[in-house]
Amino acid sequence: MTVHDHDAHAGSGALQMGHHHVSSAALFAKVLVALLILTAITVGASRIHFGAANMLIAMFLACVKASLVMAFFMHLKWDTAINKIVFFGSFLFLSLLIVFTIADQTTRRMDGKWHVQKSPVQYEWVHPRLLTDKKD
Amino acid sequence: MSHDGHHAVVIPAPGPEFQPHTVAHHFDTPVQEFQSAKLGFWLFLATEILLFGGLFAAYFYFHEMYPETFRLGGKQLDWQLGALNTAVLLASSWTMAMGVRAAQTSQKKLLLRYCGLTVLGALIFMAVKFVEYSAKDAHGFVVFADLFAPYDTATGQIPWFQDYDGHMAGVPHGHLFFAIYLTMTAIHGLHVLIGAGLILWIMKGAAKGRFHAGYYLPVDLVGLYWHLVDLIWIFLFPLLYLVP
Amino acid sequence: MTTNVPALDAGAAAAGPRRNFLDVATGFWSWASTLDHKRIGLMYLVGVSLAFLCGGLFALLVRLHLWEPHGTLFSNADYNQIFTLHGAFMVFLFVIPAIPGSLGNILLPLMLGAKDVALPRLNLLSFYLWLVGAALATLAIVFGGFDTGWTFYTPYSLYTEQAVVTIGLAVFVLGFSSIFTGLNFIVTVHKLRAPGMTWFRMPLFVWALYATSLLQVLATPVLGITVLLVAFERLYHVGIFDPRLGGDPVLFEHFFWFYSHPAVYIMVLPAFGIISELVSVHSRKPVFGYKLIAYSSIAIAVISFLVWGHHMFTSGQSTYAMFAFSFLTFFVAIPTAIKEFSWVATVWRGSIALNSPMLYTLAFLIIFSIGGLTGVILGALAVNLHLHDTYFVVAHFHYVMMGSIAVAFFAGLHHWWPKIFGVMYDEFLAKIACGIIFVGFNATFIPQFIMGSRGMPRRYATYVPDYTDFHKASTIGAIVLGCGIALMVYYLVASLFQRRQAMQNHWGGVTLEWHAPTPPPVENFTTPPVVTTEVYDYSTLDLDTMRRPVQ
Repeated sequence: MTVHDHDAHAGSGALQMGHHHVSSAALFAKVLVALLILTAITVGASRIHFGAANMLIAMFLACVKASLVMAFFMHLKWDTAINKIVFFGSFLFLSLLIVFTIADQTTRRMDGKWHVQKSPVQYEWVHPRLLTDKKD
Repeated sequence: MSHDGHHAVVIPAPGPEFQPHTVAHHFDTPVQEFQSAKLGFWLFLATEILLFGGLFAAYFYFHEMYPETFRLGGKQLDWQLGALNTAVLLASSWTMAMGVRAAQTSQKKLLLRYCGLTVLGALIFMAVKFVEYSAKDAHGFVVFADLFAPYDTATGQIPWFQDYDGHMAGVPHGHLFFAIYLTMTAIHGLHVLIGAGLILWIMKGAAKGRFHAGYYLPVDLVGLYWHLVDLIWIFLFPLLYLVP
Repeated sequence: MTTNVPALDAGAAAAGPRRNFLDVATGFWSWASTLDHKRIGLMYLVGVSLAFLCGGLFALLVRLHLWEPHGTLFSNADYNQIFTLHGAFMVFLFVIPAIPGSLGNILLPLMLGAKDVALPRLNLLSFYLWLVGAALATLAIVFGGFDTGWTFYTPYSLYTEQAVVTIGLAVFVLGFSSIFTGLNFIVTVHKLRAPGMTWFRMPLFVWALYATSLLQVLATPVLGITVLLVAFERLYHVGIFDPRLGGDPVLFEHFFWFYSHPAVYIMVLPAFGIISELVSVHSRKPVFGYKLIAYSSIAIAVISFLVWGHHMFTSGQSTYAMFAFSFLTFFVAIPTAIKEFSWVATVWRGSIALNSPMLYTLAFLIIFSIGGLTGVILGALAVNLHLHDTYFVVAHFHYVMMGSIAVAFFAGLHHWWPKIFGVMYDEFLAKIACGIIFVGFNATFIPQFIMGSRGMPRRYATYVPDYTDFHKASTIGAIVLGCGIALMVYYLVASLFQRRQAMQNHWGGVTLEWHAPTPPPVENFTTPPVVTTEVYDYSTLDLDTMRRPVQ
């Protein structure tokens, strides 16, 4: 009856319906407490001035919290490899979008030596024909 | 066992208060059905991540472009309300996880109770959101009555951003922070409402005894959706209320 | 690939005249509510074909308008609308959904030995979303049209007094249609393969669809949020994309091309898949470099996410970003070249049958070489600055989108037509039409390469008289191309009424779809297939079964 299950990612036989991983209520309670404590730490850390590191700290704490939710509440810890790959993959590709656009934004101000004028630039449109006429 | 398509696979009900589940005809086993739906749903969640991701990219882009605007804008938001809502969502995520657990262990009443608590969490979240939006409206950061009013190119004034008390004076394009705040929280709020609706739908099925240890797939999937809503808020909270 | 072929007769004998998916039920509702992937695929086929004919009509109008330097048919404003409609219809309603929606839907489960796609109701929803999207796009024309180009670039799309929100909504809905198709295919490939169908026994069309689906799932949501933000911008002035409000239109371009560059591969990868199948069947030879072609599909999918900035070399993005994007762009050429060389090596010394699907395939190989190589030229930063937004770019992407993707779609359609319908079209007319399309296509776009390299800008309603001859040649080519397509539509539709019987396995393919009865029954296979041999192993071809006429 399991003829279709050749998928290398499909996981172990433990994933039969009815034999899924059932987490203990105590574990869920611990995760919730950890999440609330981390929220308090996030608020606390934002009160201290670390400069640019504040963003990194906030994002690190958010990632830890997100990992807890994913691993335990979303059962990803016990899920199949392919489901993990799919979900983490989405973050990976999202990071491409963010990294490249921000890289463009931050390096644009270093463009001075390449561009004569920096944006924002006010251009006045002139028909090319008029430009050549002027030369004559 | 169902290769010819005539003999449907049926998962028996664990007790008289439950209903059996018939596996869809094109699947051979319950495992195959469960895993297919689950993989499909994770892929859907991945699309949600990338959909929200566009907004996060915009946030970082303008945070980089106008850091002062974002710092000052973040100070105008009430971080206590944000923290309260964070706690509410985290707690509701916990009740949802417990609800899925109840379904896995065929505890019908417990499932209904935890789902009810989760919906309650969603309602509290939206109520706090309403209080918060009203405060923003009162300060003129987001004037909801003028949200769709046409933009006046002559004065350069955006109708929905009045900033009555001049809190955002002195930083460039103060409305940008609130535009991003409003767009992100509104789309997130929409997801909260959809999630609450889905949980109500689960409760309807649970009351009929559709979900039990043998078949709890829809509860599991709606649970995942609800955790995703929580997951996004985990990032929204520090970025908007505690602008680093 | 071996299956329980003899069982085909047993089933047919027992049940009397066999019912296939086409005649198992009749009436409008039996189609509108069907969950059968083959019927949904056929509905897609009808839909995307109509969209293609509409888009083609707009293209002809564009070409006719450009007959004279001052324009012949429309006002400049109307011309802007016509070329926008051509682009939007072709991209969103035809090229993106065409191959996955129609041929992909019909063939993917058959090729895997499955009874259906994993999520049949979602599949039907995808089709209905496509219909809603098409309806909204049509509605947008009624609501005043749109003249932004298919790219909806800000800030113009924020200021123009036209139905941008409606067409934005259409794109959003069509995006989700595309996402759900991709999602469905990924799950089907992972979970519904027949026993013995390992990853490296999957036909290359399936590999290509799998790579396409990854892109659909990962890239399309960003388009969704982008068009939503444009709509918000128009409705309540968010300011993100509006330079008057401190926003940045370049951010829109980043978002848009983060989707739309991978979308280029959403369009072209399924075409690659079709060609990989066809070169093998019609040369009666296993695909050369099977694994390399399979991996290169995935490689193209991944690299396509790293190169979007090459659409924005004149947008004002940072010079450093331009360097990076231009550099990364060249890497796409590697897996693409691997495919092209493998196809040619497959045909080499094969037992080539020059029937119509193979002629279309050869046309593809020639046209795609040109389309691909001009892409490499455009990827070079310095050259791009000269050629940006000229007819050279227009000709390049038409060599890919029309000349490669649409021609591969035609090739696939001709190849699987006898499988799907059990009837054969007029081969003689098909060969003629293929010739006309090939000649017409090149006549249309070679002049555009030349005038583009000489500076003719795209999207203009008028032009300086120096370009008149090129434009006239291009217009004549477009008319020839249109005639070829009209002929193709004629003989394909006529074949359904003439009912000339096809053979069970008309071309002698060995992938699983040819082992199903022709046309397939609702459950696809009379006996569930078990795969025991490698893919494209032509020694397993059963000539008796192959040549048996369809009932």
